[in-house]
Amino acid sequence: MNIEQRQRRLRLPIPDSRLPIAVLAAALSIALLSASGIAFGHSPRELLSILISGSVGSTFALQGTLLKSIPLLLTGLSVAIAFRAGVWNIGGEGQFLAGALGAFLAARYGMIAALAASLIAGAIWASIASAMRLWRNAPEVLTTILLNFIAIHLLGYAVNGPLQEASGKYPQSDAVPMTSMLPMLGDLHAGIILAVIAAIAAWFLLYRTSEGLRLRASGFNRSAAKWAGVNVDAQLVRAMAISGAMAGLAGGIELLGVTHRLFERFAAGYGYAGIAVALLAQLHPLGTLASAFFFGALTTGAGELQRTAGISSTVATFGQAIVILVMIVFTRSARSAGVSPAGVAASRRHGRAEER
Amino acid sequence: MRLSHVTKSFGANKAVDDVSLDFKPGEIVGLVGENGAGKTTLMSIAAGELTQDTGTVDYTKAGIVHQHFLLVNEFTIAENLALAMWGRDAMEIIRDSGIDLRGVGRRVADLSVGEKSKLELIKAIAGHPRFLILDEPTSVLAPAEARELFDVMRRLAADGTTVVFISHKIPEVLEVASRIVVMRRGRIVVDGGAMSAEELAEAMVEKRSREVATTARSIRGEPILELDALKVHPGEIVAIIGVAGNGQSELAAKLRDTLRGRVAHIPEDRARDGLIAEMTIAENIALAEPRWSPRAATRRAAELIERFDIRAQSPLQRAGSLSGGNQQKVILARELERKPEIIVAAEPTRGLDIEATRFVHDELRSAAARGAAILLITSDLDEAFALGDTIHVIYRGVLSARLTPEEAASQAPRLMAGVGSRESGVGA
Repeated sequence: MNIEQRQRRLRLPIPDSRLPIAVLAAALSIALLSASGIAFGHSPRELLSILISGSVGSTFALQGTLLKSIPLLLTGLSVAIAFRAGVWNIGGEGQFLAGALGAFLAARYGMIAALAASLIAGAIWASIASAMRLWRNAPEVLTTILLNFIAIHLLGYAVNGPLQEASGKYPQSDAVPMTSMLPMLGDLHAGIILAVIAAIAAWFLLYRTSEGLRLRASGFNRSAAKWAGVNVDAQLVRAMAISGAMAGLAGGIELLGVTHRLFERFAAGYGYAGIAVALLAQLHPLGTLASAFFFGALTTGAGELQRTAGISSTVATFGQAIVILVMIVFTRSARSAGVSPAGVAASRRHGRAEER
Repeated sequence: MRLSHVTKSFGANKAVDDVSLDFKPGEIVGLVGENGAGKTTLMSIAAGELTQDTGTVDYTKAGIVHQHFLLVNEFTIAENLALAMWGRDAMEIIRDSGIDLRGVGRRVADLSVGEKSKLELIKAIAGHPRFLILDEPTSVLAPAEARELFDVMRRLAADGTTVVFISHKIPEVLEVASRIVVMRRGRIVVDGGAMSAEELAEAMVEKRSREVATTARSIRGEPILELDALKVHPGEIVAIIGVAGNGQSELAAKLRDTLRGRVAHIPEDRARDGLIAEMTIAENIALAEPRWSPRAATRRAAELIERFDIRAQSPLQRAGSLSGGNQQKVILARELERKPEIIVAAEPTRGLDIEATRFVHDELRSAAARGAAILLITSDLDEAFALGDTIHVIYRGVLSARLTPEEAASQAPRLMAGVGSRESGVGA
């Protein structure tokens, strides 16, 4: 259909719901990871079994996987919501840090206050990008990524300066008060419940509310949404804020449930990993549950590879990259959209010029 | 070019059903039929863009001008021509085509719809095809531009090119075609030479169920839409006519942005602005409503599908999978069902068949009878005279004085060409 082709040109890679591609992407990344073992003198089968036993092979491994899945689930939801609305929020990393910082500052008022602060801080950090978009039409794909660097250095300054621990020994903060820490459920923290609730809430928002309807409409076709009476600018601002809040919550939960302190490398790539999580889930909030678990398992499995086979755990990022590539290559809409920042910026401008 | 026993299905739908056709050099073939009759599919197969399921096609060098533009918006006219015809001078290509298009340094994004369609035609002709297919080329052209196009077609035919002209407009087909092929539901029902307008209309349209609603209505009270010289009263249909690209789109966009929420819109560019192709019919209809729940929206959409006679399998069908006429009905259903006090309809019947056009006109008339103020922006003069109580001519973003249909009938050609008195600026 000509009509669809026309609209695809202006669109984000919003995948059609096609499960086989997701399964293929996941399987391919595992297969390539295992095969890469040959370079280190291990058989692929050996690596595969380490990956599996290290991630889901025991209660301990499974707990580790779930622990990693929690922030991934939330940053994945953050990306899914933004991309659904046609907003390129690549700033999950910065919003994650903003959320953690917010939670840390509010921690003395208790857990609820800290969690709320992480939501708000993430939303505010993301909203800087939408403000620049509305004010000067600055493409958010660039501004959000640049805001990541600012957030990283802001945190670096904080833990070396005003927020450094009282002993002044390491570049890290003191631990948050006990009262603000998340309650434990066995070896897991209560953040897992919050994250699952967030996934269901995001699904409800997108597919069961009029807000979600208009948000998706803006993502598919800004121009048509505008003619149908949707205020697409307001939609963009709200989608960005909700997306930022999700990433911020991820940071807050990580602080209050796992690390209890801030330090320089706090974000550890969760923000960027959210992109892989969301794409593998085909931008569906409930799909994000499965895809976050997959990447959580990949991360813990890679940790086990490092311990037992001496292969750096950064291979997990290798797996993520493969998933992203497969999803992008096999998603029809992406083929014509051009997913490089420059291509995106061009198609954005194009979209603007086309709108009346 | 020869097609024999060609069949093509999309899912369960047989778009082209066992069609055989021979084309001779120098023919101008008018290919007519309702929306979804299979004309475009058949010609895409002839041009080699689609592959038939069964049957054979003997190809010649074919050029096709689509209903939807395939131009690079960021590029200028000259750059777009260079993409199609590398190494030749743009001005020269345009001169050779015999089509009037100026300013080769202008970006395509800034061109009017009429100008874009001229550019597409120039591109297609530049390759000197032996077989040229024009898909609804006049739907975006003003009468003078259409005549210009017919001259080009006749010249190409005289040089031995076969020209296939897909259209809904019966008078045009009768004027220009030397052979007329009528399709209905994927099959050829008539293939012949001279015929009367009535015969042709009868062959095209299967049923004539809807009667033209003759509704008495009163134009009353103060204008509820006022923008400089433009005044639309409740119950009134004001038609704005003009050559495409004279500020019509800007006027519609301005009304959208200033009267946000109070106005129902039927946007000009249906493919881009009409519906969200990826979403369901029910979701598209619900976009205009303040509150939404999937179940209520589906129920409501089912009602509207029934009432507006939309040919869809289910309210949960993707809007993009509907034919053009049915998409327009979905837009009408969405926009008219909220009983707006103002309706801005831009080219509401462009590219629609007779049945669908009559339907749209009836709906607009009954909305006016209900007391809505209607602004009709159209390049189809017949439509303006059939519906308009008052007519304005728009030229270079400026509206003429209010004209009665009688006044407009005598003055419109002059005003559309920019000769004669003008009044008060609007839009652009």
